[in-house]
Amino acid sequence: MIQTLAFYLFAFLVLASGVFTILARNPVHSVLWLILAFFNAAGLMILVGAEFIAALLVIVYVGAVAVLFLFVVMMLDIDFAELRAGFVKNFPLGIAIALVLLAELILGIGAYRAGALELGVPDGSAAPLMDRSNLENLGTVLYGKYLFLFEAAGIILLVAMVGAIALTHRGRPEGARGHQDIGKQVRRRPGEATEMKKPEIGKGVEL
Amino acid sequence: MTAFFQSLGMNYEWAWFVATVAGILLIALPLMLAVAMIIYVDRKVWAAIALRRGPNVVGPFGLLQSFADGLKVFLQETIIPSAANKGLFLIAPIVTFTVALLAWAVIPFGPEAVLADINIGLLYVLAISSLGVYGVVVSGWASNSKYPFFSAMRAAAQMISYEVSIGFLLVCVILWAGTSNMNGIIEAQRGHGLGIVNGFFFNPLLFPIWVMFLISALAETARAPFDLTEAESELVAGYQTEYSSMSFALFWLGEYANVLLMCALNAILFFGGWLPPLNVDLIPWFDIPGWIWLFAKIFMFFFIFSWVKATVPRFRYDQLMRLGWKVFLPLSLLFIVLVSGWLMLTRYGVAA
Amino acid sequence: MQLQSSLALIAPEIVLSLAGLALLLIAAWSRNAGRLVTILAAVALGGASVLVAPALCSGAMGPDTLAFEGQFAADAFASFAKILIFVSAIACLMVAPRFFDRDGAIRAEYPVLMLFAALGMAIMVSATDFMTLYIGLELNSLAAYVLASFMRSDDRSAEAGLKYFVLGALASGILLYGISLVYGFTGTTSFEGARAAMSGELSMGMLFGLIFVLAGLAFKIAAVPFHMWTPDVYEGAPTPVTTFFATAPKVAAVALTARVALDAFGMQMDAWRQIVIFAALASIVVGALGAIGQSNLKRLLAYSSINNVGFILIGLAAGTAAGVSAMLVYLAIYVAMSLGSFVAVLMLRNAQGEQVEGLADIAGLSSTRPLLALCLAVMMFSLAGIPPLFGFWGKFVVFWAAVEADLVALAAIGIAASVIGAFYYIKVVKVMYFDEPAGVVTGRSDWAHWLILGVTTAAMSPLGYLLTRVLGDLADRAAEALLFVA
Repeated sequence: MIQTLAFYLFAFLVLASGVFTILARNPVHSVLWLILAFFNAAGLMILVGAEFIAALLVIVYVGAVAVLFLFVVMMLDIDFAELRAGFVKNFPLGIAIALVLLAELILGIGAYRAGALELGVPDGSAAPLMDRSNLENLGTVLYGKYLFLFEAAGIILLVAMVGAIALTHRGRPEGARGHQDIGKQVRRRPGEATEMKKPEIGKGVEL
Repeated sequence: MTAFFQSLGMNYEWAWFVATVAGILLIALPLMLAVAMIIYVDRKVWAAIALRRGPNVVGPFGLLQSFADGLKVFLQETIIPSAANKGLFLIAPIVTFTVALLAWAVIPFGPEAVLADINIGLLYVLAISSLGVYGVVVSGWASNSKYPFFSAMRAAAQMISYEVSIGFLLVCVILWAGTSNMNGIIEAQRGHGLGIVNGFFFNPLLFPIWVMFLISALAETARAPFDLTEAESELVAGYQTEYSSMSFALFWLGEYANVLLMCALNAILFFGGWLPPLNVDLIPWFDIPGWIWLFAKIFMFFFIFSWVKATVPRFRYDQLMRLGWKVFLPLSLLFIVLVSGWLMLTRYGVAA
Repeated sequence: MQLQSSLALIAPEIVLSLAGLALLLIAAWSRNAGRLVTILAAVALGGASVLVAPALCSGAMGPDTLAFEGQFAADAFASFAKILIFVSAIACLMVAPRFFDRDGAIRAEYPVLMLFAALGMAIMVSATDFMTLYIGLELNSLAAYVLASFMRSDDRSAEAGLKYFVLGALASGILLYGISLVYGFTGTTSFEGARAAMSGELSMGMLFGLIFVLAGLAFKIAAVPFHMWTPDVYEGAPTPVTTFFATAPKVAAVALTARVALDAFGMQMDAWRQIVIFAALASIVVGALGAIGQSNLKRLLAYSSINNVGFILIGLAAGTAAGVSAMLVYLAIYVAMSLGSFVAVLMLRNAQGEQVEGLADIAGLSSTRPLLALCLAVMMFSLAGIPPLFGFWGKFVVFWAAVEADLVALAAIGIAASVIGAFYYIKVVKVMYFDEPAGVVTGRSDWAHWLILGVTTAAMSPLGYLLTRVLGDLADRAAEALLFVA
């Protein structure tokens, strides 16, 4: 009963937030709706018993990716009139993409109907182990059977990072403002920073 | 608790429902009270270190000061700036407050006294605490005002930065405990130090992690010396600038609830949570209920938080970022390697 | 231990990734280590080639070559491709420092990204699982996107990188969609499993999956109709990177396509053969016609590479061991020709030491730089497939394989189109030898360029026919390893 209610609540909210993500005029509102959609998707994950995936979804997407997204969108200065002008121009393309997605949907339903093929039957080695938590099962699979792919995916992320830095980082010249050498600050003693003077009256101090 | 309500003649589903609601109230209401009192403590500690008296007018020793303040903001008018984004402006404090309460669902107050004893307890806390940033960011943006916006930008960058290293630090704890269930982590600390001390802090590999965690916790909750989001000398009051009345109070409550949560995490992850400090039955040692030990530890950590706030000057923003990305992140990664390497060596065997 | 045998099989990949990580650290902690890192990266690639060689020489095949429960195959076919990839990557590393010297020393990210791109390609050619395929492809592509826009202050380079990224991401999406369809309809991501599931009648969903997968891969090998990015990217990317794009990733993508087509989709040869034949013919024709109007040498060579991919695909279309073998022979010859011709372009510098790329600028090159002009002429004739040169041999084996597989019409059209293609290759030679000297190309070149150009020219000269025996032998072994399951 509660599961059913929760499912419909989450499902409805995911769909509604998805729709509002597109409909919202203000991009910041769009991102916030998107975040709500993520959040409710995590709720759906919990309902199917994938609590670890749900936590990951919230931590990674809601907690980090979407914040950066929001960060960028908030700083943008978007001309809405121009955006709407682009809508008409891109309408045919949008329709084309929509058609492709529709075809995808139909194919997906086709795949579902083609039950005789025994869709995605786990081949024993990957069969779920019911007596252990999701966390352990995932760990076993990722670091066991798929060790190679997992590590290679790590290298992909490394390459992405190296690439992003190589393309955008411009080295700061030595001694530029804002460069902080903590060791130097700590080593500094009062004697080096101040100098005692006894100025004669009316002469002032040479700085 | 469900069984208790069933004994009152309810069927299981209703009993479960009522028990859950009761559990939530049992945590949330005392938490609100604790927040009110802890604000008083904060001010008292701060005053004592500054050689002042602190609040001492309302009630005996000024104990009722927070309630007086609460009443005052409650009676004020809620002002919404005309240029603000009204809906988001009102939602933001609610988000902050709700999220701050949510995380308490998995905090164990005793072996049985936990609302949701879930497998991924620590991950849940991490997930929820990562949501906290939204309240700040959205409020800063919705205020449609310069200083709050700067504050929101700072908050977004700061919280994400420190979340990364907090995540890695927590991984070390999870690795050592072998579970991310909060009670499991506490149990794993029983007699951890030479069979006597309950707590991971006694472990030479985990002690530096605790130190980093404590500092990151300060940054994550935007407490001094990392309170750049509300740095009054630069940003007026940061994201709270345009807020008044109850919406302001909600930020205030949420903030302190978060601080208490971080204190509780320190206690649970590194100092044995509801376990007594020593695993030796000194006089009535084991008869003291677990929640008293936990509260004492939380209080101790809160004192440390106040102490830091009263004594350490505020960081500059680039220093804050430097500390997070260039010091804590590499160090926490290093410690993951060390901890997992040590565990492979001693617990699981090298060739496994 | 299963893990240990698996790790032994991926030794070259382990060497490459560890070298990449170590070089990153060197680059991070020492300033201006670009040159040192370049040399070390080349050494690492050389080491990996040595590790790969035994599998090729012994003609390794079958279950013993499978690592990680059939996700990765280190057989003779993969080894053949890997050696080509590593060697051309080494060549592209050797020619780079001089090119980047012009605006400051070479940055250490270049060799590191090259190394990771080579790693990605090694994973691609060894993939026997769609997930391995995708991981390898993405690793290679990501590094390639960055390399294309590596000269970030140059507008053309930035544009090339962005174009490549956007279109590449689209192609990845198409590929991934195809993979998900194949997975949905066969219930497995392994090539072996897909092959078994496809042994019966081909369902609609599988057909769509097959088409999408091939379309995604066609983008990577720049076959028509997914070739649009090639001229722009080849022109805009820094020339050493273009050299790289024209050689190693092409080998990897072709080898990967061959494995997917013959292994995963091996039971449905009729379904994909028509696609491959169409792509082959279209590539040959578009490549030949498109090159005619070009006045930029890099653009021209880009169309030439599209044209060559068509010939390579003819070998695949044959679908026989002889066809695969011919494809590999052509691939090897093509790599040498591309390396030679792009390095020759790299050597065209004006008096200020700036790169020169225009066709008009090399007018009368024979009088100012006779040796360079000669080498470039050999490359052009070889690309055109004029008989005494080695380029002819590649076309010959491919057409022979097609004829033997009863694809006479395909071979005939291919031969006819290669005659059209000869037109613009010969035009380049004509400009160099018979036009009034423009006197633009006066800059000097360093020894690494001459070495690579010399070696490739020697290989493409009639001397190259000494290699036919060895090359054919190795290619046969590799083809046999690929078709072992069949």
